[in-house]
Amino acid sequence: MDERELITRVRAGDGAAERALYDAHVDRVYRLAYRLAGDDALAQDFTQETFIRAFGKLDTFRGDSAFSTWLHTITTTVVLNGLRKVKRFHQRETNIDAAHAVGVTRREAEPDLKARLKQAIDALPTGYRTVFLMHDVEGYTHEEIGVALGVETGTSKAQLSRARAKLRVALADFAGEWTT
Amino acid sequence: MMHDHEDPKFDTWLKGQAESYHTPSPTPREEMWQRIVAERRRRSERVVELRPWLRWTLAAAAVLAIGIGIGRWTAHQPRPVNGTPIATNDAAANPDFVYQVAATQYLSRTEAFLTGFRADLRSGTNNARLASQARDLLNTTRLMLDSPAANDPRMRALLEDLELVLVQISQLQALPGRGVHDTDLITQGMDKSNVLPKLRSAIPAGPVPVRTEGAS
Repeated sequence: MDERELITRVRAGDGAAERALYDAHVDRVYRLAYRLAGDDALAQDFTQETFIRAFGKLDTFRGDSAFSTWLHTITTTVVLNGLRKVKRFHQRETNIDAAHAVGVTRREAEPDLKARLKQAIDALPTGYRTVFLMHDVEGYTHEEIGVALGVETGTSKAQLSRARAKLRVALADFAGEWTT
Repeated sequence: MMHDHEDPKFDTWLKGQAESYHTPSPTPREEMWQRIVAERRRRSERVVELRPWLRWTLAAAAVLAIGIGIGRWTAHQPRPVNGTPIATNDAAANPDFVYQVAATQYLSRTEAFLTGFRADLRSGTNNARLASQARDLLNTTRLMLDSPAANDPRMRALLEDLELVLVQISQLQALPGRGVHDTDLITQGMDKSNVLPKLRSAIPAGPVPVRTEGAS
């Protein structure tokens, strides 16, 4: 069954079709939510809210773009608004995680690099960080990112370029890693 | 065209390294699906659940409207030369009055719940009941956040803190394997943000400044 038919059945109240649509997209939504939130409970909360909203307003999906593009627009809205709300709490979580990470990373192969990379990505402005994670880590195209974030494709490219430039400066101590 | 600051070697290396940033665990799809189904059902029933709240709010709003009406009507009457002073109407004087009262009642309920939450943890009360109560309060918290009661920055900050705590508690049922760790995190979070002291200081001392239904 193609996705258009699936969506028609969901609109008609078919529960099995809802589940099929969910199964087809949940991995990508959850992965993006997790990458941006860095916390399993938050990622689950955002993923749930994304699907609840998507099912609730499926009648407004006109099919001008792919369903996945429309869904990722909802995902980024839910996640970014949610993260704004939980910023203070998230900071506490990050501190706790960082405290745990110190103990863990000492036993790993490249403890400083991983810690510094995390710190550098966390320090990026929200827009840069979102574009970087969507493009370089989760493999979204600039077109998809542009639609999801409501920005021009060129803006997405520019933000990615600036994000990489900032990360290169932040990780300059490890230049030997990529120049050799 | 390649810009001066671009470095393809770095970009390739970075992509590989960044894979380790916030690496997602396997998608808990079944668990999330069950919660989505339950939450959608609950939201569709919310109108029924909120009836007492809506009735109360509408009644209070009606009292407020009548008060304003009387106030305006009396303001247009000729002033008595030696008449008694016209009484002012608190509700008409402060349009946010209804919301402040609702906020006070809500804060009292939340304080009672969070105080009980700590005690319940020690006595090993099951998480499902706590999660259910937290969800109810979470709904009200979100309504409060969207109401004029949240216009005050301090109240908004408090409501946002409470929302976070209640979200965490409402998740307890769904994550049974992480119970102890999660409850520890919640109580640590509450301690660090001083939620309970802030909550208590936000509740005005003395009776709520409105006559409740049935009061003489």
